[in-house]
Amino acid sequence: MSVWNYVVTAHKPTNVTHSCVGNFTGPQELNLITAKCTRIEIHLLMPQGLQPMLDLPIYGRIATLELFRPHGETQDLLFIATERYKFCVLQWDAEAAEVITRAMGDVSDRIGRPTDNGQIGIIDPDCRLIGLHLYDGLFKVVPFDNKGQLKEAFNIRLEELQVLDIKFLYGCPKPTIVVLYQDNKDARHVKTYEVSLKDKDFVEGPWSQNNLDNGADLLIPVPPPLCGVLIIGEETIVYCSASAFKAIPIRPSITRAYGRVDADGSRYLLGDHNGFLHLLVITHEKEKVTGLKIELLGETSIASTISYLDNAVVFVGSSSGDSQLIKLNLQPDAKGSYVEVLERFVNLGPIVDFCVVDLERQGQGQVVTCSGAYKDGSLRIVRNGIGINEQASVELQGIKGMWSLRSATEDPYDTFLVVSFISETRILAMNLEDELEETDIEGFSSQVQTLFCHDAMYDQLVQVTSNSVRLVSSTSRELRNEWLAPAGYSVNVATANATQVLLATGGGHLVYLEIGDGLLTEIKHAQLEYDVSCLDINPIDISVRIFSLPDLNIITTEHLGGEIIPRSLLLCSFDGISYLLCALGDGHLLNFVLNTSTCELTNRKKVSLGTQPITLRTFSSKNATHVFAASDRPTVIYSSNKKLLYSNVNLKDVSHMCPFNSAAFPESLAIAKEGELTIGTIDDIQKLHIRSIPLGEHARRICHQEKTRTFAICSLKYNQPSAEDHEMHFIRLLDDQTFDFISTYPLDQFEWGCSILSCSFSDDSNVYYCVGTAYVMPEENEPTKGRILVFVVEDGKLQLIAEKETKGAVYSLNAFNGKLLAAINQKIQLYKWMLRDDGSRELQSECGHHGHILALYVQTRGDFIVVGDLMKSISLLIYKHEEGAIEERARDYNSNWMTAVEILDDDIYLGAENNFNLFTVRKNSEGATDEERGRLEVVGEYHLGEFVNRFRHGSLVMRLPDSDVGQIPTVIFGTVNGVIGVIASLPYEQYIFLEKLQTILRKVIKGVGGLSHEQWRSFYNEKKTVDAKNFLDGDLIESFLDLGRNRTEEISKAMGVPVEELMKRVEELTRLH
Amino acid sequence: MNGGSSNSAGGAGDGASKLLANLPSRGLLSAHVVSSNMGGMRVYICDHDTSPPEDQFIKTNQTNILIRSLTLKNQKSDSFKKDAKGSTSNQVSKKRASDRALESKAAGKRAMSSTRLGSNQERSQSSVPDKDLQSLTVEKLRALLKEKGLMLKGKKDDLIARLRGANG
Repeated sequence: MSVWNYVVTAHKPTNVTHSCVGNFTGPQELNLITAKCTRIEIHLLMPQGLQPMLDLPIYGRIATLELFRPHGETQDLLFIATERYKFCVLQWDAEAAEVITRAMGDVSDRIGRPTDNGQIGIIDPDCRLIGLHLYDGLFKVVPFDNKGQLKEAFNIRLEELQVLDIKFLYGCPKPTIVVLYQDNKDARHVKTYEVSLKDKDFVEGPWSQNNLDNGADLLIPVPPPLCGVLIIGEETIVYCSASAFKAIPIRPSITRAYGRVDADGSRYLLGDHNGFLHLLVITHEKEKVTGLKIELLGETSIASTISYLDNAVVFVGSSSGDSQLIKLNLQPDAKGSYVEVLERFVNLGPIVDFCVVDLERQGQGQVVTCSGAYKDGSLRIVRNGIGINEQASVELQGIKGMWSLRSATEDPYDTFLVVSFISETRILAMNLEDELEETDIEGFSSQVQTLFCHDAMYDQLVQVTSNSVRLVSSTSRELRNEWLAPAGYSVNVATANATQVLLATGGGHLVYLEIGDGLLTEIKHAQLEYDVSCLDINPIDISVRIFSLPDLNIITTEHLGGEIIPRSLLLCSFDGISYLLCALGDGHLLNFVLNTSTCELTNRKKVSLGTQPITLRTFSSKNATHVFAASDRPTVIYSSNKKLLYSNVNLKDVSHMCPFNSAAFPESLAIAKEGELTIGTIDDIQKLHIRSIPLGEHARRICHQEKTRTFAICSLKYNQPSAEDHEMHFIRLLDDQTFDFISTYPLDQFEWGCSILSCSFSDDSNVYYCVGTAYVMPEENEPTKGRILVFVVEDGKLQLIAEKETKGAVYSLNAFNGKLLAAINQKIQLYKWMLRDDGSRELQSECGHHGHILALYVQTRGDFIVVGDLMKSISLLIYKHEEGAIEERARDYNSNWMTAVEILDDDIYLGAENNFNLFTVRKNSEGATDEERGRLEVVGEYHLGEFVNRFRHGSLVMRLPDSDVGQIPTVIFGTVNGVIGVIASLPYEQYIFLEKLQTILRKVIKGVGGLSHEQWRSFYNEKKTVDAKNFLDGDLIESFLDLGRNRTEEISKAMGVPVEELMKRVEELTRLH
Repeated sequence: MNGGSSNSAGGAGDGASKLLANLPSRGLLSAHVVSSNMGGMRVYICDHDTSPPEDQFIKTNQTNILIRSLTLKNQKSDSFKKDAKGSTSNQVSKKRASDRALESKAAGKRAMSSTRLGSNQERSQSSVPDKDLQSLTVEKLRALLKEKGLMLKGKKDDLIARLRGANG
């Protein structure tokens, strides 16, 4: 790999952090708006459900999100503040379908300590001001004038330093905040302040309340007529106002999110840390609060945000599991739950660890992630491409073609499946037991190969064989008419639809027939210069010619060039655009855009799908048409955003496919492959396919063992908090196909699994799982004891072979020169695998290296060891064989707090740190002095905006050797927000080209809310902010493909490169993920 | 405290049925068809100008909060004197109350700022800053005009203009 890196998102963030409901897109339209770290999604509430509208990328990590409506506006505005102290106010312009920036600004202060408990951004219910709490001891006010315009912001000193929550109170003549804070004796209190805009200062508020629940953490302001505030603690809930104080005890729980149900604020939904959903009711007589009631409703994902939508439907956004759409039923179900889950929205976050494997052995990587936290923990198998779920299969050798037929023209389902072989044709049909059975259609010729079959009008079927065209009644199954090929010529290729047949015989004859009721009529005959190789109601030879029907006049001829014979041709239309797809015998596919009025072929594009001849067929799934390209690497072609996309299918060597929509297997496909006929359904058509394996516990580490075809995970299960072992840690063994637990090794009390590795040692042919653990004692700051456990998988069981005690937590394990390299607290330790006299094995310490704060992440390459330290960035160590010692070779002297490291190549190392930045360092082996050689030079810097937990070499896509991107090495990363991203090392020329494109795109594609892309991608931590270098933002570059024609032309002019060329180069990049 | 609540540790109690009655509805999401494919959302490409209107690029007032509170107090003590001289309407007394609260908060800093305050007090008592004129009521403006011996008739803007003319 190289220093010139291209960073692109393969899977967008899915962790829902904020949500709100309001009239954003129109005065009459109700929207659900969700924030997923760097993206905002807008949905429209419709009577029939939730309709996705827009996905807004934001150049910042969203810290707060609020909808509000200034006086005189007919629709709500959206207020966003980012973690890097920018804010903006957005308005939807329905006419232009654009997001307008009403206001924006920078709310950072030069001096100030960022708050520990997260940023707070709130808006006065009467729209008099926006309040921000970003730094300890400061409350920032952005006032509105009476026209709803914002004015200059100012700070007010806030005496309370440890603020837990601030909210505006409703129904106050002056804007009033209520502050929940902790004093220096750790007691918690609330206090109110009036904000005096004129004096730019606080005035003591109407009331305060001291000594609340020690776990009080959340304030809920209550709207008029009741007003006041609810204070949610861990053991009590308190309603407080100037005139009333009501409290209610609750079962100990930490409330994570709330959602208001009624506009008058009498009912609230509360979601706790265990995923329980409660209903909190304020009982009142007129405007006097008489008490509180709380009821458990049921269980959901652990909520990070709750929004009541409408009609008892609630959106539960989650950071630790899938977000959900739930319905609150009036009557409990059998389990006593009032919650019915209507829909789940996949969330991969937090991705704690992952591994890249090729489970189906297709040469395409899949990512298996440890996703979710607490009870929502799961494994997710993320695969690029589309899955076929097998329903039934029969062994059948030598299939040459397949067609499905109906028993009547009006029948919605297919009945017959015609399977053609080299010298016979067989017909399969569904019998009454829904089994596939061989049957007969008397009128069909069964002793020859069928070239084509189709349903025809008037309840008829058409069969084309090499010497005739037969028209058969689908009800009586008898032959009604036959057209015989001229003597001496046999039919080579044929195609048909309900009323027309087109066939080509040897000698370049092209014949067009029309189907009548019991009648086949030859309408036209044409003589071509060449033999025809494939037809799709449009004939072809070594060039493509489009003929008009019924005259068979040549309309268009397109010379394909080259020696390869086209094998399959298909006319289809996606998103209202007609395409001509032409598959060649060598696995390439040409596609053209067909102008349906002039029949011109334009936008010729060539892609490589495989190496064998391709057969094209259309099929439909969920009311959309897609194309299946059967070949050695079957592909589904579909359209999204008016672009053709190609997705792999989890099958190999498919020779034929036909849709088979039978009553028993609706929307199924019949697939012929290697001596087998399979009927299966197809997954949703989307780029990344994610399969979830819920675990009910929190998986923290994962690794795959090829030899035993198993995964091993370190997981932790939370029991009832009252139980003695409230946390239990396990090593679990899973089958890599079924993902069932097949063996479990429980760890000791307080013992955590910290690292896991599948490896083998020198002089030992076995493959082992090595697990590093730590004893996490409540009284210790850092673990002082741990273990390395070595397991072998025997008969599907984990067998402990050896164990070695360590003097600290084993944060990382690596296979290293046939030995085991462990990172134990501040030390790097190398272990040999020794054979004892009694034949048993043990780990024996060989050498080590001190000098880290905590060596958390270790990667190795040859004799080099790259260590990511807790706070001392990256250092490079080398193992010296002769001396049997590990020495430090170089280090990066910056103080980055690392979250992941990876070795890109011999000299370049990649790191991620806890301020959401990426950087690369280079070994300087040519340095003149020792000092220079001992320094890792920072060569690349970039703000990713995501917390990276793991890097792994690998790729999500099939690497075809003949495509340009096949040679580009890539690293995959997984983040807390559920992002899976790809870092690709580009050749220098390509990097320079794309850097120029990025610079131009920055001027064309603006940041939503006026946020700057350049600032967003600049490396940023407490110490410094520097422009990004040697990293490119692939998400920005690839959005070039979504721009309108005049924009792309503008860019092409600025680049001095034709639009098509630019398109081609950017499209190629999209094939990296 | 509230006896009516049931906090059973197991499944939800029956009591919730009653409390769940009449959930708000506007007829949306009534016939729920599982439809939304969250992945298939159109990505917004922002190729129009997104800079805010010129005056809506918000910056923070850079005045140090301590200095500001001092200057504020200055102005306030000025206007306080004026008010004391001028009229004693309800509004003034209300203002005084808030002043007091503020002053007591900043009491610690008072000693330090007293010298500056003193020097400021010597400045002309009637030179109310232009901005503040706008915020005064007509009644008070008239009081100020009377003090200067000017005409008391006219609209508020006229009164302010007249005062400004006199001050200027």
